[in-house]
Amino acid sequence: MSISQAVEAAGNGSESEFRRGVMSCAPVLLGTIPYALVLGAQATQKGLSTVELSLMTGLNFAGGSEFAAIQLWTSPPHILLIVAITFLVNSRHLLMGAALAPFLRELPRRKVFPALFFMCDESWALGLADAKQRAAAGIGPAFSPRYYMGAALAMYLTWVAFTTLGALLGPMLGDVGTYGFDMAFPAVFLVLMRGMWKGFAAARPWLVSLAVAALVYLFVPGAWYVAAGAVSGLVAAWLLAGDA
Amino acid sequence: MIDMTTLLTIVLMAGVTYLTRVGGYVVLRNRVLSTRATAVMEAAPGCVLISIIAPAFVSRNPADLAALAITLAAATRLSMLPTVLIGVASAGLLRHLIG
Repeated sequence: MSISQAVEAAGNGSESEFRRGVMSCAPVLLGTIPYALVLGAQATQKGLSTVELSLMTGLNFAGGSEFAAIQLWTSPPHILLIVAITFLVNSRHLLMGAALAPFLRELPRRKVFPALFFMCDESWALGLADAKQRAAAGIGPAFSPRYYMGAALAMYLTWVAFTTLGALLGPMLGDVGTYGFDMAFPAVFLVLMRGMWKGFAAARPWLVSLAVAALVYLFVPGAWYVAAGAVSGLVAAWLLAGDA
Repeated sequence: MIDMTTLLTIVLMAGVTYLTRVGGYVVLRNRVLSTRATAVMEAAPGCVLISIIAPAFVSRNPADLAALAITLAAATRLSMLPTVLIGVASAGLLRHLIG
């Protein structure tokens, strides 16, 4: 899948919607760049070449699974282990795609399939939050493909470029956590969640997710906490919907 | 520069990742959902977001927890960019002072 196809998937004209997507993603990029540099640097320490690392971040484009894969990387790599962990870390995409699906009904599949390649936590969250706001404001269609692709492509190009730069710079980089850039992720996600807030009762599943994900993170090694937290929250939502 | 086992691993990673990206859309598209299923779908985005950032809530570093509290307070009142700037600045500053 090429970038030009993706831009085509975003549609022609209405450049301002694309730009609005790029701009809304800008704060998130601030938090992404240091992580991308660290991933690239870690990958070279594990013996991957710059080309291999760029291929991974360009074809896979899912940072969490790439961090997990690099952690587990050996020479030669355990293919099944790494692919299974990749699936587990990214299983949240199934829920994300399902949540986005109602807003994609009016789009043809030839546009949806390339666009979904670029669905990451950030582009999904921005696109969905924007669609919900537009729906609440009575703007139709609620989902803006160009806005989504603006955010998604900004994220994609930043991710691939800066992971590659990290691999080139290698171990010269220090610990980025010192500067506080990693707090950009909780900040962005908390603001997005405020936009989805519909009162405490509707937010109870979120608390279940938080508690379960935190406990699993503390006591179970690996990246299970994301899947465990998400699934627990959904089960809670299912059960709580019964007494409404 | 490119090891074949490495390439195979990367291609398979990319394949399963793409399947997760289209899977939810393909399976749930054009379905009329029940009240319960709708409740689950509405809770889903928040559940995934809070799970991804859950480790920040149980950090053992007091500077990180204080910065998260400040960020959370900012997120309830301010828009995206100021919240991010406050979050990054408070984390950087508190880690420098406390951590």
